[in-house]
Amino acid sequence: MTDAEQDANHATVTRAPGHSRRSRAFGRQSLSARFAILVVWAALIVVYSFTEPALFPHTGTYQTIFGSQQPLVFMTMALMCTIVVGEFVDLSVPAVFGFAATILPVLVVNHNVGVWPASLVAIVAAVLVGLVQGLLVVKLNVNTIVVTLGMSTLLEGVSLWMSNESTISGLPSSFGSIATRDVGGLPVDFYYGLALVLIFAYLLWATPLGRHMRFVGASREVSRLSGVRVDRIRLGAFVSAGLLSGLGGVIAAAALGGYDATTADSFLLPTFAAVFLSTAILEPGRFNPLGTLLGIYFLATGILGLQLLGLQAWVSQVFYGGILVIAVTISTLLRRRSS
Amino acid sequence: MAASQAGAPFPGQSADTAQQHRLAVAGVSKTFGSARVLRDIGLRIAPGELHGLVGQNGCGKSTLVKILTGVYTPDPGGAISVDGRSLSLPVRPLEARAAGVSIVHQNLGLVDDRSVWENVRLGRYKTAGRLTRRIDGKAERRAVAEVLARLGVTIDVNTRVGELSAEDRAAVAVARAIQDHKPGGGLIIFDESTRAMGKQARLRFFGLVQSVVDTGVSILLISHQLEEVVEVTDRVTVLRDGQVVETGIPTKDVDEAGLTRLMLGRHLVTHTRGDSHAQDKPVAGIRGLAVRSVCDFDLDLKKGEIVGLTGIVGSGAVAVAQAVGGARQARRGVLLVADNAKDGTPREIRLGKKRDSSEEFIKAGVAFVAERRLEQGLAAEMTVSQNLTLPRIRSRGHWLRAGGGWQAAETAAMISKLDIRPPDPHQIVGTLSGGNQQKVLLGKWLAGEPTLLVLHEPTQAVDVGARHDIINAIREAARDGCGVIISSVDAADLAVLCDRVLVFSDGKVVTELGGELTQDEIIEATFGTPGEAGRAR
Repeated sequence: MTDAEQDANHATVTRAPGHSRRSRAFGRQSLSARFAILVVWAALIVVYSFTEPALFPHTGTYQTIFGSQQPLVFMTMALMCTIVVGEFVDLSVPAVFGFAATILPVLVVNHNVGVWPASLVAIVAAVLVGLVQGLLVVKLNVNTIVVTLGMSTLLEGVSLWMSNESTISGLPSSFGSIATRDVGGLPVDFYYGLALVLIFAYLLWATPLGRHMRFVGASREVSRLSGVRVDRIRLGAFVSAGLLSGLGGVIAAAALGGYDATTADSFLLPTFAAVFLSTAILEPGRFNPLGTLLGIYFLATGILGLQLLGLQAWVSQVFYGGILVIAVTISTLLRRRSS
Repeated sequence: MAASQAGAPFPGQSADTAQQHRLAVAGVSKTFGSARVLRDIGLRIAPGELHGLVGQNGCGKSTLVKILTGVYTPDPGGAISVDGRSLSLPVRPLEARAAGVSIVHQNLGLVDDRSVWENVRLGRYKTAGRLTRRIDGKAERRAVAEVLARLGVTIDVNTRVGELSAEDRAAVAVARAIQDHKPGGGLIIFDESTRAMGKQARLRFFGLVQSVVDTGVSILLISHQLEEVVEVTDRVTVLRDGQVVETGIPTKDVDEAGLTRLMLGRHLVTHTRGDSHAQDKPVAGIRGLAVRSVCDFDLDLKKGEIVGLTGIVGSGAVAVAQAVGGARQARRGVLLVADNAKDGTPREIRLGKKRDSSEEFIKAGVAFVAERRLEQGLAAEMTVSQNLTLPRIRSRGHWLRAGGGWQAAETAAMISKLDIRPPDPHQIVGTLSGGNQQKVLLGKWLAGEPTLLVLHEPTQAVDVGARHDIINAIREAARDGCGVIISSVDAADLAVLCDRVLVFSDGKVVTELGGELTQDEIIEATFGTPGEAGRAR
C-alpha cells in the first residue's frame, strides 16, 4: 500500500487522540527505511560526479543508464508475477526471455517468416512454457526450483540448437524501430518498461486481483478460506511470467536486430538482485514493482560509475552479488522488526 | 545397568524441601513485547512422579516447555532447579541434558528414514578416531542396545524407524530420552507425544512409561487428552491464561470434568444468558453429512438460532463445523442456506465436492471463523483493513478499482463495533494482540452480513475483555437473523450463547441440551457419558 492511499484512508476514519502521534513517529521511522536506497543512489551520483567529472555528469551517461535496462525491466516484472504469489524461485525467467528472443530472429532470418507472425510465435511459445511450468508446480505440486531450473536449462539448450550457437542478426531495421525510436532522448522501449511497471504497481495497489495475489503470497490457506481461487491465481502468475518474458524477449531482439542465445543466463542474478532489492525500497519488507524499477537504475548507476572509474566487467558481478545479499539481509531485518 | 537398584520412587512426595524435587520451577514469567504470556509459574515434580500439565490452547504450556528446553529466555527473576541444583537461565540445552532433563516432542520426534541407533544417538555421536572423525558405529550400536535392554524391549538397532510398530517407535523415543539418565534420576517431558497414536498404541506406550517411572524417572506429561492425563498421572498442574490455576492436585481427586472446569475457569460470571433470538423461519439445514467419524448428520437451524457443537477430541463436532464452513471436504452431504434475495428459497451446496476455495460458500452467505487465526484466518503481514475486506474485495469492487470508500467504511464500522485496538485500519495484523486479531477475524466475516455464521473456538486464547466483545457481537449477529453454529470445547461460551448444544461422541450426537444451559451441565454431558472406559485406576 502506498502513502497516498494510506493518507486518503486515514482521513475517513476517526482515531483516538494520542494515537496519531505514535503512528506519525512510526511513519517517520519507516520513511527513512523507504528511501534509504534512494539516498544512497543520490550519494553515488554525487561521488561519481566528483571523481569522474569528465565522464560521469553528462546526458550520455543518463541515456546509458535509463536506455539500456529494458531487458532487465521485463524480466524483473516477470519474476515479480510469481514472487508476489509466493513462489520465490522462478529461475526460468531469463531462459524463457532468451528463448523468445531467439525464436524471432531464427524464424525471420533463417526461415523467412514475417516479423509479426514470428513475434507472435515467440510470445505464444513463451506463454506455453509458463503454462507448462505452472501446471507442473500448481497442479502436480512439483518443486518450483526443480521445474524452473530444469526448464531453464532445457530452453537454453534448445535456443542454442535453434541458433546454431551463434548470434543470429539481420532483423529489418524498420522492425527495430518499435524498440529503438527516439522519444525525448531515450529509446521508446524505456517507456514500454515504465508503463509495464506502472500498470503492475497499479494492479497490486488498487485492484481486487492484485489484493488476491498479495494474499495468496501471504497465506494460501487464509486465501482459500476467504474465497480466493488460489490455484488459478498461482497458475495465472506462471502464465503471465511467460507472457512478460516473451514480450521482453521480442522487444530485445527487435532492439538488437537479432539475438545471441548465449547471453540469456547472465541476466539471472541481476533479475533476482533487483527484485529482492525492491524489498528495501518504497515498501520495506515487501516486493514491489516501483521499488524494483528504482533498484534496477540504482544498480545500473553503480556499475556504470565503477566501470567509468576504470574497473573491468567483473565489477558488475561483485556489485550485483553483493547488493543481493545486503538487500535481502536488510529486508529480512525490517520484516523481523515489523512482526 | 539394570533398572532395579534405584528401586522405589523417592518416598517423600509430600515432603517439601527443594532437595527432594526432581524439577522445581519458581517465579518464571515470560513477556513478548507487551504481552505477558506466562506469569509467575511455580511447579514441583517429585522423583518418580508422573506429573500432568494441562490447559487450553494459548494458555502458555508450550511457552513453558520452550523455557525448560532453552528455546526462550524467561524474564529475569525466575528459577529452575533439578534435584536441588539450579540451572542457569536461559536454560542451556547441554546443561539440562547433563542434569537429566530430556524431552520427547510431538509424534515422538523421530526421523523415519534413519536407523534406530542413529535416532537414539542423534546429537551425541562419538567419533572413533581423532584423525578420521568418523562415527564409531560399533560403540554407538552397543550403547543403544544397552539402553533398549534397560527398557526391557528387544529391537534390532539397525532397523529403520519407519518400519517399526507404533509401540517400538515409542520405545525408541523413550530410549533416546533416558540414555543419559543416572540410575534412579532424570526427567522426561512428553510434549503431546501421543497425539498421533491410536488407543492400543497409547495403552502400551503408557505401560512402557510406567516401567520407566518405576525406576525413579520423573515425567512431565503435557497432553490435550484429559482422559489419559486423569488415567496415568499422579498429580496434575493446570494453566490458564499464562498462570498456574492449581498445581500438584492428586489426580485421584479430580476427573475430566473437574479439570475442564479448572482449565476454563469461571471468568464469565459477568456474562448472563441473553434472550434467545431464534425466529420461526429456517435459515440453514445440513442433510446427510458424512465427515471424519461422523456418518449421517442432519441439522435444522432457525433464523437467529445459536447452536453449539461440542465433544472431546475426535468426536466429530469440529469436523462438522469445518465441513459446513467450507474448510474441510466432506465425504458427502448437502448444506442448505436460505437465499434472502429469493425470499428464503434455500441454496444448495454439495459438501462432498472438491473445491479450490470456499468461494461458493461465501456467495451463499456462509462465513467460517477458523480456529487457528494466523494460519487459516488472517494474513499476519497484511493490514487490518486488507484482511477485513478480503472476502468481498471482488464482489464489492470493480475489477479495475477495488475502491477505497467501502473498504474504509467497512473497516471503520467493524473497528468501532468490536472495539479493535489500536483503532488503526492500516495496522499490520501481526502486531496486534491475540484478542484484537480474533476481533479482526470475526469482523472480517461479520462485515459480510452472513446468513450462516460458523465459528470454531471463537474465544480461544483471548483476554476477558475481548471475550466479552466477541460474545456480544455473536449475539448481535443472531439478533439480526443470522443462524450461528459454534464448535467449541469451552462450555462457558456455549452456556451463555447457545439456544441448544449438541454433544458429540464417536461421530454421533449423544445428547442434545436445550433451555437454560449451564456450564456444568455441558461438561457433564461431554465427559460424564457412562460406560466410558478407564474411569478406574
